[in-house]
This record gives sequence, C-alpha cells and structure tokens, in this order.
Amino acid sequence: MASVLRRMYDGNGAFDFVGRRRTWYVIALVCLLIALASFLIRGFNFGIEFSGGNSFVIPAKNGVTLSEASKVVADAGAEVVSAQEIRGTEHSFLVRTAGLSEDASTRVKFAVADTTGIPAGEISDNRVSPSWGSQITNKALLGLVVFLVLVTAYLAFRYEWKMAVGAMAALLHDLLITAGVYSIVGFEVTPSTVIGLLTILGFSLYDTVVVFDKVSENTKGILGGSRYTYSEAANLAINQTLMRSINTSLIALLPVAGLLFIGAGLLGAGTLKDLGLVLFVGMAAGAYSSIFLATPVVSGLKEREPRYAALRSRVLAKRTSDAGRRGAAVAAPARVGGGTAVLDEAAGEDGVAGSRGARPAGRPQPRKRAGGNPGRPSGSKRRR
Amino acid sequence: MAPSGQLRVGRYIAVLLAILVALYALVFFTGDRKLAPRLGLDLIGGTTVTLSAKTSTGQPPSAESLETARQIIENRVNGLGVAEAEVVTEGNTNIVVSVPGQDNEDVKRIGAAAQMRFRQVVKTAPDVPAAEPAATPTPSGSATPSASGSATPSASGSATPSGSRADALTPPTLAEVTAKLGGRSALATLTTLTDPAQLADGRAAPLVAALEKLTPAEIAVLPAAVQFNVPQITCAKLNARPPGSISAPDQQVTACDDTTKYLLDKAAVLGTDVSSANYQFDASRAQWIVTLNFKGNGQDKWTNLTRKAFNEQDQDRKRVAIVLDNDVVSAPEIQGVITGQAEITGGFNEQSAKDLATKLKYGALPLTFEQQTAQTISPTLGLAQLEAGLLAGAVGLALVLVYVLFYYRLLGIVTIASLLLSGLVVYAVLILLGRPNTIGFTLTLAGIAGFIVSVGITADSFVVFFERLKDEIREGRSARSAVPRAWVRARRTIISADTVSFLAAAVLYVIAAGAVKGFAFTLGMSTVLDLVVVFLFTHPVVALLSRSKAFMSPRISGLGRVAAQAAADTEAAARRATTKEA
Repeated sequence: MASVLRRMYDGNGAFDFVGRRRTWYVIALVCLLIALASFLIRGFNFGIEFSGGNSFVIPAKNGVTLSEASKVVADAGAEVVSAQEIRGTEHSFLVRTAGLSEDASTRVKFAVADTTGIPAGEISDNRVSPSWGSQITNKALLGLVVFLVLVTAYLAFRYEWKMAVGAMAALLHDLLITAGVYSIVGFEVTPSTVIGLLTILGFSLYDTVVVFDKVSENTKGILGGSRYTYSEAANLAINQTLMRSINTSLIALLPVAGLLFIGAGLLGAGTLKDLGLVLFVGMAAGAYSSIFLATPVVSGLKEREPRYAALRSRVLAKRTSDAGRRGAAVAAPARVGGGTAVLDEAAGEDGVAGSRGARPAGRPQPRKRAGGNPGRPSGSKRRR
Repeated sequence: MAPSGQLRVGRYIAVLLAILVALYALVFFTGDRKLAPRLGLDLIGGTTVTLSAKTSTGQPPSAESLETARQIIENRVNGLGVAEAEVVTEGNTNIVVSVPGQDNEDVKRIGAAAQMRFRQVVKTAPDVPAAEPAATPTPSGSATPSASGSATPSASGSATPSGSRADALTPPTLAEVTAKLGGRSALATLTTLTDPAQLADGRAAPLVAALEKLTPAEIAVLPAAVQFNVPQITCAKLNARPPGSISAPDQQVTACDDTTKYLLDKAAVLGTDVSSANYQFDASRAQWIVTLNFKGNGQDKWTNLTRKAFNEQDQDRKRVAIVLDNDVVSAPEIQGVITGQAEITGGFNEQSAKDLATKLKYGALPLTFEQQTAQTISPTLGLAQLEAGLLAGAVGLALVLVYVLFYYRLLGIVTIASLLLSGLVVYAVLILLGRPNTIGFTLTLAGIAGFIVSVGITADSFVVFFERLKDEIREGRSARSAVPRAWVRARRTIISADTVSFLAAAVLYVIAAGAVKGFAFTLGMSTVLDLVVVFLFTHPVVALLSRSKAFMSPRISGLGRVAAQAAADTEAAARRATTKEA
C-alpha cells in the first residue's frame, strides 16, 4: 500500500492507464448498461418540483409530533404523500401532499395553523404546478446542449477535436453514471439535483483539461524520436497529473462533503442535501472518467493517425533491436543513456516538453531493471 | 537572481491591496453602507410566486407584452401595500414576485388575467389625497387626449366573464360588508348619495368610520356608485381591489387614474376588439399621437360608443375611459363619431405615447397567468437555512484547510491565506452587487452552496501550481528557479480550467430559473476572483517564500522530501552514467 502511494506521489508513470483501455471501456460500458437498464425499469423518483404538488414545513411546537403534523394536514383536506422530520437549528416537520389548487393550499395552511395553534406566518409552504417540471426540464436540457457545444468548440480550438471527443465521452459517462446511481438508489430528483448535475460537467471537464494540458505537452516532440508511442506519452501524462487529479477530486469533494454532512445529516432535506448528494456522486464519477476514459479515448484516436502509427512501429522496432543488443551486452543501464539522448533530440523541437519528459522517463529504470521487463508501459506489447 | 529578473512581488501585492481597499471603500462609503450582502427570501423568510404568462393562442408572449404584464402585476402587488416587493420577468414567459416578510398570502392570488375595457365616463371626481402610500403610477399624458373621426352606426357589447379566481377562500359578500357598515339602512344611505360632498356633514360620522375600515376586497363588492360617491374610498384603496374586480363588462364600475376618480358605464367595447395600436409623430400638428384600429365587429361597437359619447352634452360623458385591469389608462374626449382609425392626441411625449400604445396592444391580446410555484418561507426556517448554509461552508472549509495543511504544510498556509483573501474579496463584491444601484444580487441558499463548491475550484488552482512546483524541484531545480518555471506552466492550465468552469457557470446562469441562478452566479464569480487571487497573491507569495531557506525544509514545506528524493535519484543516475562510461 505504501509503495502504491509512493508511486502515485512520484508520478513516474508506473501505472498503465492507457494500455489497459479496453478494460476501462468494458467497465464503463457495463456500468452504462446497468444505468440505462435502471432508467427503463426503475425510472426516477421525481420531487414535487417535477411532478407538481405541495409541501408544508410545520415547526415542532406546541407538542406537535410527526404523525400529528401529517394528520393535521390530511384533516385539512390534503392527500399526504410523505412526512419527514427536519432537524437542525429549527426542528420541524416536512409534509408533502398531492397537488392542491392555489387557494386550497392557503386554506390548508390556515387550517393547520388553527388546529395546532402555530401562527400561519411560521408555517412555510411550497406549491408547484404540474407544468413547472417540464419548463425547468426543458431549460436544463437546453443548457446541457448549449454547454456541450460550447465546450466542444473550446476544446477543439484550444487542443484539437480528438481531445474534445475524449472529453465528451468522459462527460457523458459522468452524466449517465450519476443519473444511474440516482435511478438505482431512488434518490429524489429535484431542480437542485439537475443543477448539480450540470455543475458536475464543469468539474469533470476541469479535471480532464488539466490532464489534457499535460498530454499535449508530453506529446509535442515525440514524432521526432522513436522512444515513446503516443499512448505511452499520454499515459505518462496521466501518471504525472495523477496526484493532482486525486488532490483536486479530494479538495473538491471535501466542501461538498460539508454540504452533504449538514444537508443530509443535520437537516435531512432541501437544497443543500440535493446539491451535495449529486455533486458527491458526480465528482466521484468525474475523477474516474478523467483518468480512465478521457485520455485513453484520445490515445485510441491518435494512434490511428498514420504518423503516430508509424511512430509506434519505429518505437517497437527500436525496442526489439535494443533488446537484442542488451542480450549481447548485458549492460541494461545502457538503455537509460539511449533514452535520454532521444528525448534530448525532441527537446530541440520543444525544449520544455522534451526535458520535462526526460526526468520521469529516466526514473522508473531501476524498477524495471529489477523486474527485467523491457519496454515501458506494459500494455503496448499486449496490444500488438 | 533568476535570469529574467526577480519577480516584483511588492507590485502584485500592491495591486491586490489597491483592489481590496477600493472595494471596501465602496462598501463603507457609498450606497446604503450596509455591511451585509442582500439575502434571498429563502434565508430571511418571505413569499415567492412564479407566474407563467400565456397568450390565448398558447404562444409565448412578446417581450413588450410580458413587460406590460409585469407592470400590471407590480401595480397589483403594490396595491396590497406590502413593502419591498419585487416583480421581475424571467426568461420569455415568467414573472417572479418576491415579497419579504410574513403573512403575505394575498400575494399568491394576484394572477388573474388583466382585461382591457372601453367604458364611457359617467362622472368624475378628484381623488382625495390618500394617507396610504401612493399605489399606482399611471403613465400617459396629463392633458386630456382627444379623438377624431367620422360616422357609421351599429353594435353591442359582448360579455367575457373575467378570471375571478376568488372562488375559494371566499371573498366577502355584499351582505357581510353591509353588516359591517351597520346594516341595510347604512347601505341605503350610501346608495342614495349622488355626490361625494353629501357625506361631509357630521351625522354620518359612525358610517364614515366604518367605511374607512373596509378592506379593498370588501370595497370591491359595494355598488359602483357607492364606491364613487364615498370620498373615504380613495383611489389607493380602489387600486388595491382584487384583480378582476371591475372586469365584468355588463356593470358600471369605479376606477382611477393618477388624479381622478371615474364612475364608468358598462363596457361597450373590449380590449380584444382592438386589432392594432401604434404611436407616431404627426409632423403636421407637431405632436405625438396614438392610433387605434378595431376588428370588424369591434369597429361597429366602437363607432356606436363614440356616437353615444359625442352626442352627450355633459363634458364628463363625452369621454371614453380605457381601463386596463383596475386602472384608467387614458380617458380621451370623443370629438366625433369614429368609423375608421381612431387617433388619441394630447400632450404625449414619445415615451408616454409608446406606453399607451403598448398597453392597448396588450389589451388586445391579454395574457393569462398560471401560477407555477408559490413558496412561503417563514423567517425562522429562513434563519435555520442560513445557519445550515454557513455551517456547511465552515465544515467544508475546515476539511479543506486540514487537508492542505497536512499535504502541503507551508504551502498549505499560503493556500489558507489565499482562500481567506478570496473570501474577503468575494464578501465585498457580494455586498456591492447586492446594492440596488448595481444589480441587486440576492444571496440565496443555493448561492451559498455555489460558494462552498467553488472552494474546491479555488483550492485546485493552488494544487495545480504546487504540483508543478514539485515536478520542477524533483528535476533538481532550486526553489528559486523552480517557482517561475512552474508558474509559467501552471498559469496556462489554471486559465484553461477556469475558462471551462466559468463557461459551465455562465451557461447555467443564462438558462436557469429561480434559485439556481444564484448558484451559477456565485460559482462563476468565484472562478473569476480565483484568477485574481492566484495571480496577485498566491504566485507572488510563493515566489517570495522561495527566497527563504526554510522553503525547502522537509518539515516545513513538503517540497523538501521531493528535493531529497530528486537528489538521491540524480546521484543514482550519475552512478549509472559512470557505469556506462566505464
């Protein structure tokens, strides 16, 4: 365990994310299928903002208990759907009912006030018409589309379209997985949930963009050499930003945990809980996808470009000859020197990227020597 | 000394300080000088109603029409006498009414459709200046507008029942109100009145007292003539009558404009009879005019109405009032029998002509309102939500602080300082944006959640920077040369990442409705301020620290270990190189 942490902390490329991309694709696909199946079979548990309905928050005063609060509302002529306790600084009861007309809603409130002796002004209520849900759903969908288009354009402009595709794949994964968790567990879906979901998109991308930044940096000069394939360079980028990705996700999750802790733990319902929950689930999915999906997808696409395919053949050919040479010369460390030299060539084209790649490239060597495993990321061999 | 020259740390910090001082100077010395942000109704308690407006065809209303509807709703809300009410449009169909405080159930019942009626004036009387706050600002020209045209007869008034929604929460009946006033005899006395002056003598004193206590809803059920003849029934009260109180076309009604109370005849022409209305500058007469056209059947009704008014001897009766909702929008004198396009003239400027034309158009295609949401939060629940929000923020922040201290040590302290600074800037900006002379931004619970979530984004910029720094030091650079190199690369990443976050927030803000807007706004704002703090504070401070020896101490910065590791690796590499050469 300690050594795993150490490898993460060093970011030396010891984890093969890109090479095993088929595995991640399969995992993602299975999760997505489960999510989709759940959409069809279980559907979602929509809150009153979507289905329409009323809710009343009655303070726990004058000896009112949960069952009494529920009964009082029912007696006032409303069909009670659910009743729950809300703790926190004001202890109260949340009673949800089926849809009431505008005036019926006010009448119930006054009736509850009369029966319990609690002033009407202290009772909170919320009425949502059945058509409101479709209005906000439409807006959310519109927002989603606008956002995706803008971000795709931005990524295509800032990096290249293949990266935009990778980022989109990761985004869709996050969206569907989060929705799937909601569907399977049966968490209530409210407008806050939808908004949280859209926010996740931002987060997921944010994370992905940082990895992409490193990928484009690492791969800038590689066509000039024959040391690394695109996938290997990309994999190195993930490893180098791994600790940051984990840190980011943790740091982003910590405040959300605060939201969730207070929202769900203390209050039991409301905006804070809804936002906290969806963000928590979504960010976890986002952390996974930016490491395991976005870059592997980009690598897969890039490897199909003839120049990167050519690079791959060159690299493999060089490795074979190296291995042959090593068999004869016994001096394994010779590879280190060779590798560094190649990368220094690359540095001529892009000094920054080249020299940066050099360090992490050199460092894993002792380990490899110990394992006697030629060629850096192991996945590259398995594929061909 | 770095080749590119040492970073002028002082300069950045000075800019930041200047920004802070400027912000807080604005907070302390301008506007209302309040030191707290404007809180939303979900935090202080209040009622929020969202109405969605529809035309009879089901199409979304025009922007102009929605704005007129907003004004009408605003008039109704103000008529209720509630303080600090806010009525805004949202998107292309919604009108949101927000009223702080308790016991505003009436606000939930203001969504009746606003109808336009054309009614011949029967009598006028000056309004008694009200003790209550003036309720309805009626636009349009002050001079009596006049209409002109020529003749053709025939028509009748078709009655459209108004959307009186007071079917539940029973509105007061005439019998109840009569009882309040002291029985039938009192009503009889009032009914015999023919002129406002008659109630002035002393013997009616108890009746007057009872009249003054009537609510606008109770006033609405009194006969129109009574409403007109009793001076205690002021225009402020009349304007506060429930929506739809005077829309029945087959009854006489009483209504007001800015200065005058009108007793009006049955509605001979309806707003829906209007086909079009426009305003233009008439160069020959050098004045602004409003033109009005009617639909086929409506034209006949209008011609009949103008003929009737034109033939009257009484000056008041020569006028036709255009009534929208509970207000007289305009009451031009009819100067001829109008068979074609009608023209309204008289002291308009461009704005008032435009306003009248807009209202006429609105009357032609009145909107119906559907209540989408109606929410009342009690002040205690609001306070509880505020506390929960702040507590959640405190817990989240504390978790982040512990984590960065543990992981980055000295740099963690820089992170904390940056977050605090960021908090200071955010707070000032929040206060300033909440001022009515800026954008009047209100902080809601969702907004607080936005800030809490943004702590992650802000802290992440530091993580990007520090991880880069670690890379550089791992490569064996000294702290001094590592900082500028790390910064150049981290900066690019931070800007890209913040762009994406900001984009997400901006899209959310534009499309979202209600509380969500607040969430998106605070999220977007924090992202921008994050850049400010990272550029002007975090980077300069880290650059400054890098000049001290303690910066690289393993115990203090966490960078020391990386450096030690790097040194060991370099040594190993050197050994390997030696082996190779050997």
